[in-house]
Amino acid sequence: MEPSRDTHATLVDLLDRILDKGLVINVDVIVSVAGIPLIGVNLRAALAGMETMLKYGVMQAWDKKSRAWEREHRKKNVPSLLEGEEIVMKMFGSHYYSKGICNAWRPGYFYLTNKRLILYRQDFDEITFQIPLEEIKALVTREEAHFVKGKKKEALYLIDKQDQVHRFSAVETNQLKDAIEQNLATSGLSLEESPVLPEFEEGPIDFLTEGEEVTHRGKKVWYLVPASGIQQETWRPGHLYLTNKRLCWWYDFDKKLVFDVPVDRIVSVNTEMRKTSGLDSKKEKTLDVAYRFNSAKTIASFSGGGQIDEWVEALNRIVSGKISEETEACPQCGKPTPAKELLEKGCTNCGWVSPRLKKKMAQAALSAE
Amino acid sequence: MAEARYLYCIVEGNEEITLGNIGIEGSSVYTIPYQDLCAVVHNCLPEPYKSEDKEKVNLWLTTHEKVVDVAWERFGTVLPLGFDTIIKGEEGITPDENMKKWLKDDYENLRQKLGKLKDRAEYGVQISWNPKVIGERLIETNPEIKKLSEEIKSKSKGLAYMYKQKLENLLKKEMEKEADRCFKDFYEQIKRCVEEIKVEKTKKLEEDKQMLMNLSCLLSKEKSKILGEELEKINNMKGFLVRFTGPWPPYSFV
Repeated sequence: MEPSRDTHATLVDLLDRILDKGLVINVDVIVSVAGIPLIGVNLRAALAGMETMLKYGVMQAWDKKSRAWEREHRKKNVPSLLEGEEIVMKMFGSHYYSKGICNAWRPGYFYLTNKRLILYRQDFDEITFQIPLEEIKALVTREEAHFVKGKKKEALYLIDKQDQVHRFSAVETNQLKDAIEQNLATSGLSLEESPVLPEFEEGPIDFLTEGEEVTHRGKKVWYLVPASGIQQETWRPGHLYLTNKRLCWWYDFDKKLVFDVPVDRIVSVNTEMRKTSGLDSKKEKTLDVAYRFNSAKTIASFSGGGQIDEWVEALNRIVSGKISEETEACPQCGKPTPAKELLEKGCTNCGWVSPRLKKKMAQAALSAE
Repeated sequence: MAEARYLYCIVEGNEEITLGNIGIEGSSVYTIPYQDLCAVVHNCLPEPYKSEDKEKVNLWLTTHEKVVDVAWERFGTVLPLGFDTIIKGEEGITPDENMKKWLKDDYENLRQKLGKLKDRAEYGVQISWNPKVIGERLIETNPEIKKLSEEIKSKSKGLAYMYKQKLENLLKKEMEKEADRCFKDFYEQIKRCVEEIKVEKTKKLEEDKQMLMNLSCLLSKEKSKILGEELEKINNMKGFLVRFTGPWPPYSFV
């Protein structure tokens, strides 16, 4: 069989290739139609003009109205500036917003001025993030997994003077960082050298009771929320915290504690390889915490990638050394302290020492003489 | 007036030459060299070619292809671009400077691609079948279907209707299975004769033809004979039809 070309029948094959394929240039100096680079458009339709494109429903999101709106809004493409403020640099990027009801990357344009760093959404003429230059304490870039599997992306972390951490991503992260640094230098400001990023994103840990302290925490942990009503049991994402009093699981979506058990009720800790997803058959290591509840034994299950072993270790310390972890209120000031510590060392708060320990210390002092 | 460059393809070479008035609407096609790469272009306005007139568009497209062909013949290896790739200038920067900047920034990548495509060409392979012929064959060879189709004959009118529905469903399922199996077999068969395969979307054909697979294959021109022989075998199978087109510039492999 011989390959054929240059016949009428092969014209379609040729057109397919010329219209849909060919080397793609990824630069912004190529001619575009209505703001869409030509290579991004279905050329077959674009050829016949935008009108036909709309007639066939191609890129309906870009219908006449929204293009008119876009045109209108493109005009005021600069955030309002303060007096004497000048733009040094503009770059597309986004800010990871995690304070609202849902976490999301908010895209916009970074404007670096001689006074501020601004993230501006021109579509809504809205400044979604801004910080005066003198409030910037440190900048850190870190390579992170991109949401496209296997790809890496530089993320920029900005730590402000209040030690709040802000996470950004930009087209050229390092360029943005350099520009900010340079800008600070010309303003006579300096950054903290070799800053350290806090290990965890500071979540709102406002569930702690008085005298309660977090003793172990980690990355995201999934909890098998028990069935209730018509809701079947389901794995949900959140964060697990071990405090000196309780084991608590914070549900990321509802932003509240969904599970907590006093540490002295924990009976045992086990791990098991289990299917955690209905989608694939891969088994994952899960953590089963058995605890007493209304005199019955109940099990809570957690999963969370590679950190389960750490949790087992942390929890086992409690289960095995439970007696020593029992807290007692100091008879003098009332501060809850582990009983063992209170008996052996005394109260760290007010200096109270048990009569027995007093005697012991007196004896020790005597024999030393 | 602002100027721009319509880009046909990238070739190996460092001469600054003109290829004559062979471009779209008779424009003069020439090369812009950067080191050992050349961009094949013509001068145009910084706006895309567009028209409602199908004849006109087809003429543009075939002209685009002809220019790429001429360059291909002359320079040996091409990286073809799609239609309507136009590089414009910016304030204070000429389109040529933009072009060279792009060639410079993408130099490694382009060199690598040119290396991969040296002496290679793209061939289109489309295999379709006649569903009627295949269906009849399945009714004969598949025991379950055969049994069902025989049972129908002895049923009353109402029951026969139900049976027919059942038969059609079953046949449809078996056809899909058969199509999957054919795809796998043919793919393996073709893979052995080519260097790279891109699986393209299948297209709707006439009533009595159904496209099973639409492939773009990359191979050296000499090897096209071996591929042709393999395709001949498939073409000779009852109910199957193969379309073999090319050699095309390697549009699908850039």
